[in-house]
Amino acid sequence: MSAPAQTALARPQSGAALRAMLPWVLAALAALILPHVVPGGFGLSLLCRMGIAIVFALSFNMLLGQGGMLDFGHAVFLGLGGFLAMHAMKLADAGWWIPLPALPLVGAAGGLAVAILAGWVSTRRAGTAFAMITLGVAELVVAVVLLLPSVFGGEEGLSGDRSSGPPLLGVDFGTQIQAYYLIAAWAWAAALLMWLYTRTPLGRLANAIRDNPERVGFLGYDAARIRLLVFSLSGLFAGIAGGLAALNDEIVTAGNMSPEASSAVLVMTFIGGVGTFWGPVIGAVLITFLSVALSTVTDAWQLYSGLLFVAMVVWAPGGISGIILAHAPVVRAGFAGRLAPAYAAMLPGFFLALAGTLGLAELGFRLQSVRNGASPRPVFGMALDPQGVLPWVVAAILLLAGAWLLRRAAPAAREAWQEASVMAQVQ
Amino acid sequence: MTLALHVTGLKKAFGPTKIIRGVELQVARGERHAVIGPNGAGKSTLFHLISGRLPSDAGQILLHGQDITGLAPHDIFNRGLARSFQVTSLFPRLSVFENLRAAAMRTHGCGHAFWRRLEGFAPLRRRAEEVLSLLGLERRRDVLAGALAYADQRALEIGVTIAGGAETILLDEPTAGMSRAETERAVTLIRRVSEGRTLVMIEHDLGVVFGLADTISVLAEGRVIASGPPDQVRGDPAVRTAYLGAAAETLA
Amino acid sequence: MEQLGLILLNGLVYGLLLFMLSVGLTLIFGMMGVLNLAHASFYMLGAFLAFTISIRLGFWAALIIVPVLVGLIGAVVERYGLRTVHKHGHLAELLFTFGLAFIIGEVVPLIWGRTPVPYRVPAALDFPLFSIAGNAYPAYRLFMMAVAIAMFLVLYLALARTRLGLVVRAALTHPDMVGMLGHDVPKVFTLVFGAGCALAGLAGVIAGNAFTTEPGMARSLGAIVFAIVVMGGLGSIWGALVASLLIGFVQTASISLDMPLGTALMHLGIPVNTAMLTDLWQITIARVAPVVPYVLLILVLALRPRGLMGTRSA
Ligand SMILES: Nc1ncnc2c1ncn2[C@@H]1O[C@H](COP(=O)(O)OP(=O)(O)O)[C@@H](O)[C@H]1O
Ligand SMILES: [Mg+2]
Repeated sequence: MSAPAQTALARPQSGAALRAMLPWVLAALAALILPHVVPGGFGLSLLCRMGIAIVFALSFNMLLGQGGMLDFGHAVFLGLGGFLAMHAMKLADAGWWIPLPALPLVGAAGGLAVAILAGWVSTRRAGTAFAMITLGVAELVVAVVLLLPSVFGGEEGLSGDRSSGPPLLGVDFGTQIQAYYLIAAWAWAAALLMWLYTRTPLGRLANAIRDNPERVGFLGYDAARIRLLVFSLSGLFAGIAGGLAALNDEIVTAGNMSPEASSAVLVMTFIGGVGTFWGPVIGAVLITFLSVALSTVTDAWQLYSGLLFVAMVVWAPGGISGIILAHAPVVRAGFAGRLAPAYAAMLPGFFLALAGTLGLAELGFRLQSVRNGASPRPVFGMALDPQGVLPWVVAAILLLAGAWLLRRAAPAAREAWQEASVMAQVQ
Repeated sequence: MTLALHVTGLKKAFGPTKIIRGVELQVARGERHAVIGPNGAGKSTLFHLISGRLPSDAGQILLHGQDITGLAPHDIFNRGLARSFQVTSLFPRLSVFENLRAAAMRTHGCGHAFWRRLEGFAPLRRRAEEVLSLLGLERRRDVLAGALAYADQRALEIGVTIAGGAETILLDEPTAGMSRAETERAVTLIRRVSEGRTLVMIEHDLGVVFGLADTISVLAEGRVIASGPPDQVRGDPAVRTAYLGAAAETLA
Repeated sequence: MEQLGLILLNGLVYGLLLFMLSVGLTLIFGMMGVLNLAHASFYMLGAFLAFTISIRLGFWAALIIVPVLVGLIGAVVERYGLRTVHKHGHLAELLFTFGLAFIIGEVVPLIWGRTPVPYRVPAALDFPLFSIAGNAYPAYRLFMMAVAIAMFLVLYLALARTRLGLVVRAALTHPDMVGMLGHDVPKVFTLVFGAGCALAGLAGVIAGNAFTTEPGMARSLGAIVFAIVVMGGLGSIWGALVASLLIGFVQTASISLDMPLGTALMHLGIPVNTAMLTDLWQITIARVAPVVPYVLLILVLALRPRGLMGTRSA
């Protein structure tokens, strides 16, 4: 190939590289501006949680979405990374010169070390066996952590003071806003690194073992070795999230690595969508927000997130990002209007079913508190008696009627979408 | 001259059923070698044994004089043997181009690198493009492999097998299920990709076999009952019985 | 010596209970390739339903009704849930059962509260049978053993003697061939899934009152049972049996050992530096008991990645 031809080839590529970086620039700008837009200290701490959750969910998706590996104990890496970072913070408290912004690196080292150890056992298997081994390893690690109070502080965990280290450029990270910018910077950098990883040989090999682990062997690669490497890197990034959590909360407990925490990251990643790089970001932001917003309103938040998760597994396995991807071409081609009537026809059923589900769950929780001697809070502003039969019957009827309507309207909506997307393709 | 592939006394049983009962096979370097035989004779099983997909019960497999018996598939590949599958085995959620690129990564210095961009491996990209045009799939470059038409998937199966540039190539029924025209295209493709290499191919279509192969081995009841140039094998009475017997069975 | 006998007895009862759960899991996995993560949740459901029904109709009615009920719930879940996600592959199926476990884990406290319920051993069996090592041995334990063994006999006969059993056995050894046997595969799946869940429900009925019936029981036992089926070799019933009994005995034995870990290791001739990690060496073996299944899991897999009796790699 002649030299001019080569540069001609190279030019559009560098243009593409610039375009690929655009979302990252926008994300950085958003991270800078957000604290001034979101109201109050509550909003700020919510943003911090979201940043941590984003890193955690992205690291989880390195396994699930990109590598086809379902890790039921992912919080272990976050937790142990957090504990190690907390020890470093305590050393800083004791006068060692450890700059606070480097704590996530300590967390990364912790996450990486544990992932290599755990991965040595689990990554020799794939699929279901791999998933079950991660579950067992997680149980083991949590139990051991509780058995060693001298290292992990027992039930209370370990706590420290992030502002007692040496100030860096006059910043001691005592205030929440300073902590926010530190977390945002780390989250941005970690996310960027994880994205760059998807464009490396190992990142592509991870996709290959997801799709067809056996064939990879006949192309010269040991699938188990790829799994171990990917698992280790994922642990490293989860460890960064752990270091950030230690920074943010100034406390780390065994709860940070509990099976519930592992389930939570699975649920948020899946709801966001495992099929794209950015899906987990949506899930992390949405679920973090909902868990804070809804857990103050209802006791049944966990149940709702579980129901949403199962609904996604059954009807939208691509998660939110999958739904967006499926509709983007249609919308771009200007066919959104064609979908609207069919989709709108699903709304009555959807809202009825939703009302019925919410009603049943809320009545259930009211019934519990009434049995425990409390006076029932109103359901959606209505003073319903959870011990009466009528509210239950009404809620059940709403649910059934909604489900029936949804079933009736669904085929038309699916057809409308298929038609529109075919037309969008043709165009 | 050492043989490209030298199989001696190879045996394999699934539970009580002995499928491979002492296979002897010699493949000279640079030849196109067809393995034929009735359905269920154990041809695919033989490939599985050679390529390390299944462990053998007895026998020895030499690749260019090196013992590869009992090695894992990736070790065997790294010694220069690549194979395709009778049941298409691709990466369905990767594009055609990425399938080819993944297939060539090992032999283009990628290792397990997670600190270098895939795009930075220029020879790798060129190799993938080259195979892509060899397959005639340029226009399907960014289509997911899982969404390809059957014949295109079969072509890609061959492409993925040869992309790494292995010296010895095993193709398991590359033309199975294809139409006349598709088969012809596939034969041209196989002829081109096997140039300067050693090819062992399982094939049902005897037209293809006699047009392409330098040597034919006939596998029946777990043994190679005949092996030689096409004309010699064609006239072999043992082969006729094996085939006629099989034909009689299918009729019955 | 009597102490040892007690440990063996209790270990056997516990091991059989674990096997009751893992056999259902293994059957379902062998047939459908799905590890039902909600299996222990069905066990919990069985215990809570047994509590409610035994209040109204008595224990014996619950013993019959609950497995049927849980089996029906399982069949409905398979028919209207699992079957829908089947086309998305095993990972989706695994995620579905995971979500199901999550939901059951939230619904149970919604109905029965977050504290243990007083599900009691039936009065007819609530007496000491004999005395061993200074402890009165409850008759109910023996009843549990009898039920477990009866269940295995029935299961064994069903697998060995019925047509359905033939299909199931074929599926266990040649999973890819079932479809070709010309049977109504989806219907067989529903049946097997329901039967597996019924077994879990039965285990809940007979174990819920011997142990505690509380909303955390699925989680604590579930993780152990999943460890067992992987340790035994996914899909292998014999492997599940060996692993269940192994864990039953080892865990029961370690619960009854009051010796500190450091001392125990020194008795075994393993020198430890007790100056470091002092709290670790002072932990009694009894407190380590909960982690025993996972340590065993890791040991087994390190030595034999496919599990004790595993033949199929996942
Ligand atoms: N994994 C296996 N377990 C048991 N039997 C097998 C297995 N693989 C192949 N077989 C049997 O071995 C025989 C030969 O199969 P195969 O090698 O695929 O034949 P072909 O010559 O048609 O390629 C067939 O009867 C097949 O059923
Ligand atoms: Mg074959």
